[in-house]
Amino acid sequence: MAPRRPPLPWLKPGLFAGGLIPVAVLVWRAAHRTLGADAIAIGLNQLGYLALVFLVASLTCTPLKTLTGWTWPVRIRRMLGLFAFFYASLHLLTYVGIDQQLDWPVLWGDVTQRKFMIVGFLAFCCLVPLAWTSTDAAVRRLGFQRWKALHRLVYVAGVLAVVHFAWRVKSDLRVPLTWAAILGVLFLIRIADAIRTRRRKRARQPVAARSVDLGPAG
Amino acid sequence: MVIPWLGFPLGDFIRRVEPLGSAKFVAFQTLLDPQQMPLQRTHILEWPYVEGLRMDEATHPLTLLVGGLYGKALPSQNGAPLRLVVPWKYGFKGIKSIVKISFLEKQPPTTWSIEGPREYGFYANVNPAVSHPRWSQATERRIGEFQRRKTLPFNGYGDEVAQLYTGLDPKTLY
Repeated sequence: MAPRRPPLPWLKPGLFAGGLIPVAVLVWRAAHRTLGADAIAIGLNQLGYLALVFLVASLTCTPLKTLTGWTWPVRIRRMLGLFAFFYASLHLLTYVGIDQQLDWPVLWGDVTQRKFMIVGFLAFCCLVPLAWTSTDAAVRRLGFQRWKALHRLVYVAGVLAVVHFAWRVKSDLRVPLTWAAILGVLFLIRIADAIRTRRRKRARQPVAARSVDLGPAG
Repeated sequence: MVIPWLGFPLGDFIRRVEPLGSAKFVAFQTLLDPQQMPLQRTHILEWPYVEGLRMDEATHPLTLLVGGLYGKALPSQNGAPLRLVVPWKYGFKGIKSIVKISFLEKQPPTTWSIEGPREYGFYANVNPAVSHPRWSQATERRIGEFQRRKTLPFNGYGDEVAQLYTGLDPKTLY
């Protein structure tokens, strides 16, 4: 018997408001000059970190549903992903517009020569089509299978984002490696679930079909 | 960064302690005290922090032993009670909370060049023409300023210190 889904009417508005709090705090602190001596670097780092947090949060929804059977995480997955894109965009715009002040030769050097910049930029590029096709209409237009295949790009974005973080630090890798471990656990849950689902499907097939499909080893 | 340090030339100290004529390098060591400096319990760097200068760099009048800034004694986080300031080099050469100074014939190891020899060398002279492997070092933003400015060779002290390095390839002076 399926558990009755709780309506949780506050879930999406709550997440929407909560997701905007960090940027509100940043703007407030920037306006009051309380971000510290190197305010631009602090803002830049916080925006990048927030993008990673929301990206990994969006990748947590499906494994959480797998483990618990809850359906509410999947209902906020799209909004979490869009917040990741929102903060990644602010992170990139802050770097390009405020930190480097549109110094195009330097920015060109960044995306052609510097590994950690290249992977960060690629992570952002992965998120663009996902944000673009985040509407219900886009799912209908693409067809669910193609939409789903496209949105697997989020795994690439997650890995690139963690690599970007790890390659940026000077010596203390503890925080980036923690995020790498979290991402690894989330991927393992997905893989384990995929294997289980396949086994179950296989078990449901009739014996004759199974022997034809799998050959002598099956 | 433009900081009003309070200190005295390291050279005055060196002359007072009269090192042997065979001394070619000066090595510095930071306090090792995980009670006060909890990150020293981790392995993010090899502790204690060590730095070094060539003797002629160490006795240059711009090289300072510093005990204060902005008219006050050094706060702990800025390297109390005594730190080094070498204005034409990148900041990590300015070793903090010095507890030991030794005079050596051979070039001493330095913490960041142990950590990443490809990224950090012994000299660490400010050089906008040589990028750090992961980022450009061509421009900088001074604390309190919004616009970036072009970083100057030797941090603007070329007239005073460039002659220390004649005959050496500036590309090797990172």
